[in-house]
Amino acid sequence: MRSTFSGLELAKRGLFAQQTALQTTGHNIANANTTGYSRQVVNLVASRPLEAVGMTSSALPGQIGQGVEFDHINRIREKFLDSQYYNENKNYGDWSTRQDTLEKLETIVNEPSDTSIRTVMENFWNSWQELSKSPEDLTARAVVKENALALTDAFNHVSGQLSDLNSDLTENIKVKATQIDTTLNQVVSLNKEIHRVEGLGNDANDLRDQRDVLVDNLSKMINVTVTDTDNGYNIKMGGTDLVTGTDLNATVDSAFLTNAASSGDLASGEVRGLIDSRDNIVADFQKQLDTMVKTLAEGDVKVTLPTGTVLRAGTTLNPGPTPTTLTADTAVTVKGVNGLHQLGYSLNGDVTSPGIPFFTLKDGATDFSAASITVNPQIVNNVENVASSLRTYTDTDGTNKVVKGNNGLALLMSGLSTTNFNFDPANTGTTVLNGGTVDEFFRAFVGEIGVQSQEAQRQASNQKLLVDQVDSRRQSVSGVSLDEEMANMIKYQHAYNAAARSMTTFDECLDKIINSMGVVGR
Amino acid sequence: MSGRITQNMMNSQLLTNLNSNMNRMNNLQNQMSTSRKINKPSDDPVGLSYSMRYRSELSSNDQYAKNVDGAISWLDYSDTMLGQAGSVLQRIRELTVNAANGTNPQDALKAVQSEVDQLSGQLVDIGNSQFNGKYVFNGELTDKVPYSKTTPEASVTDSGQINFQVGVGTQIPINVTGNQVFGDPSDNVFGVLKNLSTALSTGDQTTVSSLLGKLDERMEQVNNVRSDVGAKTNRVELVQNRLSDISINLQSLQSKTEDADMAEVITNIKTQENVYEASLSAGSKLIQPSLIDFLR
Repeated sequence: MRSTFSGLELAKRGLFAQQTALQTTGHNIANANTTGYSRQVVNLVASRPLEAVGMTSSALPGQIGQGVEFDHINRIREKFLDSQYYNENKNYGDWSTRQDTLEKLETIVNEPSDTSIRTVMENFWNSWQELSKSPEDLTARAVVKENALALTDAFNHVSGQLSDLNSDLTENIKVKATQIDTTLNQVVSLNKEIHRVEGLGNDANDLRDQRDVLVDNLSKMINVTVTDTDNGYNIKMGGTDLVTGTDLNATVDSAFLTNAASSGDLASGEVRGLIDSRDNIVADFQKQLDTMVKTLAEGDVKVTLPTGTVLRAGTTLNPGPTPTTLTADTAVTVKGVNGLHQLGYSLNGDVTSPGIPFFTLKDGATDFSAASITVNPQIVNNVENVASSLRTYTDTDGTNKVVKGNNGLALLMSGLSTTNFNFDPANTGTTVLNGGTVDEFFRAFVGEIGVQSQEAQRQASNQKLLVDQVDSRRQSVSGVSLDEEMANMIKYQHAYNAAARSMTTFDECLDKIINSMGVVGR
Repeated sequence: MSGRITQNMMNSQLLTNLNSNMNRMNNLQNQMSTSRKINKPSDDPVGLSYSMRYRSELSSNDQYAKNVDGAISWLDYSDTMLGQAGSVLQRIRELTVNAANGTNPQDALKAVQSEVDQLSGQLVDIGNSQFNGKYVFNGELTDKVPYSKTTPEASVTDSGQINFQVGVGTQIPINVTGNQVFGDPSDNVFGVLKNLSTALSTGDQTTVSSLLGKLDERMEQVNNVRSDVGAKTNRVELVQNRLSDISINLQSLQSKTEDADMAEVITNIKTQENVYEASLSAGSKLIQPSLIDFLR
C-alpha cells in the first residue's frame, strides 16, 4: 500500500534542502572576502527509505525513497594546515621583530657616513695632531676641547637612543601581553559558546572560524600548540597551559612572558623576538659601546715616552722604577686617554700637583660608560688645562716651568688612534675584540650588527614566504571560489525548480484522483 | 600549487609579488640616488668594514697632509732665515777681509766696527726670529727669546726637537736650534763677532785676521744647517707626494667598495620596471570576468 500524499512531502523536502543549499551558497558568496572564513557545504543525504506501508510485508521489490535531507552544514578546513601555519607564523613574528630592532640599530650607528661616531672620533684624534703643531696655542686647545665634547656628546646621545629603544621594546612587550590576554579571554568565551551550540547538535561553523582567526593572530605573537577537544581548544605555550577548554589557566602580563622566555616555554613569536631584541641585541650593543668608551678613557694601552720626558714627583710608571727625567725612550703601560693625559703638563704652568684626567664621570656615575662620560669640567672651563707637553725646565729665576713648545703628549695622544688597547682585561670573552685599536673595535661591532641584520632580513623574508605559502594552501582548501559558488547556485536553483515541478505533478495526480475519479458515465 | 584556486589566492599572490617587486625597485632606486651600493651595514657587512677603514684612513691621511703643509712652511721659513744669516755673515766676512788689510787707518776700522755691530744686531734678530709667534731657533722653548740683545754670546738655546707627525708612526723633527746654527755658547758666532768688534775698536789687526778663520767656520756651519734643512724639505715633499698617492689609492678603493656600478644599477632598474609593469598588467587580467558575468 502506498501513501497517497507522500509525493507532496517528498517534493517539499526537496524544496527545503535545495533552498538551504542555496542559502549556504549565498552565505559563502557574502563571506568571500571575510578574513578566516571557511567555505561551507550542505551535506545532503537521501532520507531513510520506507517499506511500503501495509498489514503484511509487501511483496514489492525495493524500498521507496523518501526524498532528501541535510544532516550537517560542514566547514571545509584542514586542521593540519592550521598547525603548520602556527608553526611558520611564530618564526615570522620572531624574525620580523628582530629585523625591526636591528634596522633601528643600523640607523643609530649611521654607517657608512661622514656624520657617525667614527667621524667624531677621527676629529678628536686629528685635533690632537693639530695641537701637536702648535702646542703653545690656545686656539688649538679649544679645538681639542670642542672635538672632545662632540665625542662625548655623540656617545651620550647614542647611549640615550639605545635606552629609548630599550624602553620602547619594554612598552611593546606590555602591549603584546595585553593583546594576548584579550585574545585568550575571547578564545575561552568562544569555546564556551561553541560548546553550547554544538551540544545541541548544531554546527558552530562561523564561531569556529572566528576562534581560528584569534588563534592565527596569537600564533604570530607567541608559540602555541592547539588541540581540539570536546570542550573546545586547549592552547599551550611550550609546557604552559594557557587555555583548557572553558578554563583560562593564565593571566598574561609582561612579567609572565619574561619568565616564560627565561624558562624556555616562550620560544618564538613576536614577544620572544622583542624580549631577545631588548635583552640580547640592544643590551649587547650597549655593552660593546660602553666597553669601547671605558677602554678609551681608562683601558690599558702601551705608549713609548720619549727621551727627556720629565715626570712629576709621585708618578709611578708601569713597569718599573720611575726616574725624574727619562734618559731613553721608555715603553710603559698607561690607563687610556686619562692616564696619558695625567702625565702631561698644560699651559697653566703647574708642574707639581698631579695631572688631571681628560675625561670625567657625570655627577652620580661610578663607572665610565657611553652615558656617563664627559670632558673634565676643568678643561671645559679653561682650555689651558689641556696638556700637550712632557717637559719642564728650570728657568733663570730658579723656578720650574713647563716647556710650552714641547708637543710630546699631543703626539702620543694622537698616536693612541693607531695603538692597540686591551678591551677585555678580565678575559670575559664577551667583547667583540680582545685587543685592537678603538677604530677596529668600533668597526667590528658595527660589522656584527650588519651581519645580524642581514640574517634577520633573510630569515624574515623567508618566513614570510613560508607563511604566505601555507596560507595559500589553506585558502586553496577553505577559500571561497566565486566560480564554484555560481556553478553550485545554478545546480541548486535547477534542483529547486525541478522539486517545485515534481510538486506540481503530484498535485495534478491528486487533482485527478479527487476530482476526476469515480465519475464514469456522468 | 595544486587543486582549487580561488580569487582571493590570486589576489594575495599578486600582492605578494607586487610587493617584492617594489622592494627590489626601492633598493635599486636607493642605490641609484645615493650612487652607493652600501647604504647601511646589512647591505654588505664585510664591504662595510673595509669602507669604514678607508674612510678613517682617508681622514687621518688628510690630517697628515695638513701636518706636512705645516712642516713645509716651517722649513721654508727656517731656510729663508738661514739664507739671511748667511748673507749677513758673508757681508761681515767681506768687511773683515777689508779690515784685515793692514793699510786701513783707525777711522776706517771704526766705520767697519760700527757696521759689524749693526750686522751683529741683525744676526741676533735673525736668531730671535718668530714664525707664527714662535721663536724658531729656541728648541721647544718657543715662547722664550733665545738670544739676549746684550749678551747673545752667552745665551743657551733649548735643544728640544719639535716633531711633526707625517704618517702612522712617522715623525719628522722640523726645527733647528740656535746652538746648531750659530754654535755652542762657548764659541758661538756672536762671541766671534764681539771679539771682532773689540779687535776692530782697538785696531788689533792680527786678531781680526785670526778671527777670519773662526768666521769661516761659523759660516760653514750655517750653510751646513741650511743644506740639512733643504734635505729635510726634500724628504717632507716626498712624504707629501706619497700622501697624495695614498689618498688617491684610498679613494679609489673606497669607491670600489662603496660605489654602485651605475650602468649595472640602471640596467637592473629598467629590467625591474619591466617586471613591475608586467606584474601590474597581470593584475589587470586578474580582475577578469568570472562565471557571474556569463550567467544572465
